[in-house]
Amino acid sequence: MAKAYKDLREFLATLEKEGQLVKIKEEVNPEPSIGAAGRACANMKSKPAVLFEKVKGYKYSVVTNVHGSWQNHALMLGMPKDATIKEQFFELNRRWDKFPVPPVVVPREKAACKENTITENINLFEVLPLYRINDQDGGFFLSKASVITADPEFPNDSNKLNVGTYRIQVKDVDRVGIQALPFHDIAIQLAKAEAVNEPLPIAIALGNAPLVTFMASTPVSYIQNEYEFVGALQDGVPTEITKADTADNLYVPAHAEVVLEGYIMPRVRTCEGPFGEFPGSYSGARLQCEIKITRITHRNNPIFENLYLGMPWTEIDYLMALNTSVPMYKQLKETIPEVQAVNSMYTHGIGEIISVKSRYGGFAKSAAFRMLCTTHGTAYAKIIILVDEFVDPFDLDQVMWALTTRVKPSKDVTVIQNCAGMPLDPSSNPAGMHDKLIIDATTPVAPEPNPRSVELLKPSPETPKWEEIIKNLMAASAK
Amino acid sequence: MKCPRCDSDTVRVMTKSPVGDVWEVYVCDTCCYSWRSTEDINVHDVFKLKPEDICKLQHIPPIPPLKSK
Repeated sequence: MAKAYKDLREFLATLEKEGQLVKIKEEVNPEPSIGAAGRACANMKSKPAVLFEKVKGYKYSVVTNVHGSWQNHALMLGMPKDATIKEQFFELNRRWDKFPVPPVVVPREKAACKENTITENINLFEVLPLYRINDQDGGFFLSKASVITADPEFPNDSNKLNVGTYRIQVKDVDRVGIQALPFHDIAIQLAKAEAVNEPLPIAIALGNAPLVTFMASTPVSYIQNEYEFVGALQDGVPTEITKADTADNLYVPAHAEVVLEGYIMPRVRTCEGPFGEFPGSYSGARLQCEIKITRITHRNNPIFENLYLGMPWTEIDYLMALNTSVPMYKQLKETIPEVQAVNSMYTHGIGEIISVKSRYGGFAKSAAFRMLCTTHGTAYAKIIILVDEFVDPFDLDQVMWALTTRVKPSKDVTVIQNCAGMPLDPSSNPAGMHDKLIIDATTPVAPEPNPRSVELLKPSPETPKWEEIIKNLMAASAK
Repeated sequence: MKCPRCDSDTVRVMTKSPVGDVWEVYVCDTCCYSWRSTEDINVHDVFKLKPEDICKLQHIPPIPPLKSK
């Protein structure tokens, strides 16, 4: 069974041991240092997490880029840090099928997130070293919170308990804004509360076990409980949760660093944004919801975990890469078993690469049509590349080989005009409308003619042996 | 003090640094823009707002009609 982390601290200890965490001991200014370091990590090869032990004017520490590399992503799954993307993809697929693994509810006294409780004179700045992430952001944002809400119509239906990631702007010492886009699960719940002018109770958990944060960012069905997926992705090890203090039907990660509790004020919208978003550009100011914070619980010496997002790739891309690819793969594979793997990693699946074995001429394109019929793909998928079953869709060298040697543009490139699009994609115009591009880079099979068939170069059977020899020699010379 | 984004004079001190007296955070009660006294603020023209235009910004998500309880 793979290693599962009880909380953020256990994961940070592993990252440090594996050389994937650096600690900044000198005091830094909140701006621009923390955001700049997040960008710097993204620019590097091994992309470590960075812990700032002292932030000017604040009591506690900040950690960023915890999920921000394939090495950290592999370690999150308890895999060797050099596991390939494809290996991580198939390991996630294997564990996905263990769903549901119900969480364990622990009593308040055993939940580390309850070590300290604040109910009066609430001031977020006393607990969280808040900072501006990108210079044109409209304020200080929580970019990596796991937000917990329930369905007011079915308050005790745990399947409808939602754990999601939404951007949160600090508006005051005890008030924050939240972006709940209409297609987000939280918007379904909010609409029900607002229709009867009731507040929507909410808990915001910061600094969680790595797979809690990962699942909060994963597009699953409205009636699937994210905590039950965390147990599945922890290879069958249940995650621990505890009851929120201010709402009997909300459950929070038991060992979160900080939990903010409160409610969304019904029928209130105030100015929010701009915010540097995942497509690498700012989204503008809008009128969005506000949350009143009425209670904070936190661990002793809490660590504030936040992420940098900017021109891809940055930390956020690792939180919408394989956790977008796996649900897409599952949905395609169900009806087209010839699909071998799906890469939905680029800009949250605006770019898609599907590896598929063509059974007959034109077959591969059906995988693209199926992608465009999925809930996520209908709006997000814009550029779909189809490659043969022996091409690794996660290896862009191989994908470029397929594009450069398999595509005849006059017959293999198709544009479907005037479809749904992702509004945050700045090339979508009007926002929410787009064209779809399908590039069929598979080898033609009958009855499609293939007048210049080729004999592919095959590696020598001794190649794996030599890979091992060379790898060992390199490891020895690095010591 | 005026808001660097909407030019309103509805700016107040949101909080002071919890440790030492090293910075203050200001917030504009008209457009919710906030900033720290130690920052070099330069709001790009494209992000500036006129107070009278704020009520015209898009509502996300839209507020549903009220139902009787």
